[in-house]
Amino acid sequence: MEPVIKVSNLVQKIGRQILFNGLSFEVLPGESFGVFGLRGAGKTTLLHILAGVDRFKSGQVEVLGYNIKKSEKFKRDLGLVTQEKSLFLDMTVVENLDFMAALKKSSRSDVYQMIERYALKDLLAEPVILLAMGSFQRLSLACAMLNRPKLLIADEIIKDFDLYSRNLILRELRQFQAEGGTCVFGFSNIDFCEQLSKVGWLENGKLKVYEPESARAEWHRQIKLYAEQSDSHYV
Amino acid sequence: MFKQCPAIMKRELFYMWRDKGLRNILLIGPLLGLFLFMGIYSHPRIDHITTAVVDLDQSEASRQVIAELRNTQDLEIACYPENFKQLEELVKRGEVMVGVVIPENYAKNIALQRQTRVAVVIDGANITYATNAASAVLTVTRNLGAQVGVKTLIARGIQPNQAKEAYQSIEFREEAWFNPTLNYAYFLVLALVLNIWQQCCMLASCMNIVGENGVRSWLQIKASGLSAFKLFCSKSIVHISVFMLLVLPVYYLAFVIFKLPLNCGIITFLLFTLIFAVSLHSLGTLISSFSSNAVDASRFGMVIALPSFVISGFTWPIAAMPQWFQPLAWVLPQTWFFQGINYFVLKNPGWEMMNRYFLVLGMMAVLCYSLSALFTHCFQARFR
Repeated sequence: MEPVIKVSNLVQKIGRQILFNGLSFEVLPGESFGVFGLRGAGKTTLLHILAGVDRFKSGQVEVLGYNIKKSEKFKRDLGLVTQEKSLFLDMTVVENLDFMAALKKSSRSDVYQMIERYALKDLLAEPVILLAMGSFQRLSLACAMLNRPKLLIADEIIKDFDLYSRNLILRELRQFQAEGGTCVFGFSNIDFCEQLSKVGWLENGKLKVYEPESARAEWHRQIKLYAEQSDSHYV
Repeated sequence: MFKQCPAIMKRELFYMWRDKGLRNILLIGPLLGLFLFMGIYSHPRIDHITTAVVDLDQSEASRQVIAELRNTQDLEIACYPENFKQLEELVKRGEVMVGVVIPENYAKNIALQRQTRVAVVIDGANITYATNAASAVLTVTRNLGAQVGVKTLIARGIQPNQAKEAYQSIEFREEAWFNPTLNYAYFLVLALVLNIWQQCCMLASCMNIVGENGVRSWLQIKASGLSAFKLFCSKSIVHISVFMLLVLPVYYLAFVIFKLPLNCGIITFLLFTLIFAVSLHSLGTLISSFSSNAVDASRFGMVIALPSFVISGFTWPIAAMPQWFQPLAWVLPQTWFFQGINYFVLKNPGWEMMNRYFLVLGMMAVLCYSLSALFTHCFQARFR
């Protein structure tokens, strides 16, 4: 089976600091791959590189069969939800959907479908900047799904917002995967592991791939270890 | 293509309309400027310049000088101070702009055909006033000098006709072409309004690139795979169209309602305005391409747009500027525009002379857009 994402020896530098020191990993079709790491580990940078938004120093990245340094065709089948609010904040909900549909060459019926699926009907005339976090995230995912992507890249998609939005987003993500979609998530809350099929732990410029349960166990092991070290320091 | 470009253009238009600050500046700025400047320059020339006369001679001859001064429309005798000290105070306080001092023994010296000196002081603090006052005083003194000269020749036994002819053998006739009444409004108002317009346009142009890639929504645009060229073209077409739409009511009011002169055809003038709008937009885009944020872009833009009118040589000739500075003035599209509108509006020197203005502005646009593309590519590579 051809991987949806194939990363070989990826190096990224910011100034003189080496952020990724030769990352290599693959994501297979239908997988739900999570990139886990603490703040500053480079989760967002990695996701932006995979989405073709950021450039990288060296290495090779193939997404949906395309070398992303040579082609942007993979973007036709890509959906992106960013950690920070990246919708058009000067526009309303419906204007965002319309504009994103135009950018992604999606049809009018796709817009109506997303409004229905993400329960946005009552929010259409609202300026995006005034939306509550949960509603904003529903809209972000709706915009990302407008082109019926094969690959969804979502950074910190589940945050501490209302449970209605949380459940709706998780339901839609499950549906997307059930239809054969591939997901790459950036996350920093280990509880999100239960939504994933693989976890890539990003630390000190390297990525180590775990099964979700192993990742959770490693997290608890590290918490215990640091707690003991901290206790012994005070003793 | 057919769906993306109109959507980007619509969004750009909405963006410009919804940004209240930008909207008000673009819509109201030039029109307000036009009404303001037309009001200010509604009187075609400066006359009735307040004048004080110190008559230390109190003679028939000195009263004749005063009568000559009274006869000119440009000067208005406001008072008769008793001495030079009082006159000095009046000039210092700005109560009079011109002071004429007729010395003691003025009549006697003229009668004895001796040289006599009438002092004329002009308040040089306001250059416009001073220039007009000097011109008015020169007219009076020239007439007076001629009259006294003729009388002197007659006193020496020369026939009155011969004496007059001696003074009128060379006639210097001043004739101002293109603006016969030297009307300030014809010369200045349109340029001042277009100066406001070009500043507003520059401010908007400076957001062309940084207004997009300097905000988070840039991530969605990049992730959509939309080509930078398509985005740039769609946005630029809207910007330039808006600039032209903004200048149309200004031209209508200026040329139709306020009857400012336009010696070339309106189509030619609009085309010239269009090529300048493109050139100006390219300069704003270039600034936008290397600015790290919108505030910086506005600052850089204003640093160029604000002094460009003075640098353009419209009010102070480029030839009178220092040699080393002159090439710098010609680097700015504003210089070509303001020099050009003076030719088009008042002279219409023909296509053969003016085609280089179109050519230079067009070349500037190509150069600035190319550099913008290069900078955008390099800076993005560096920041990412």
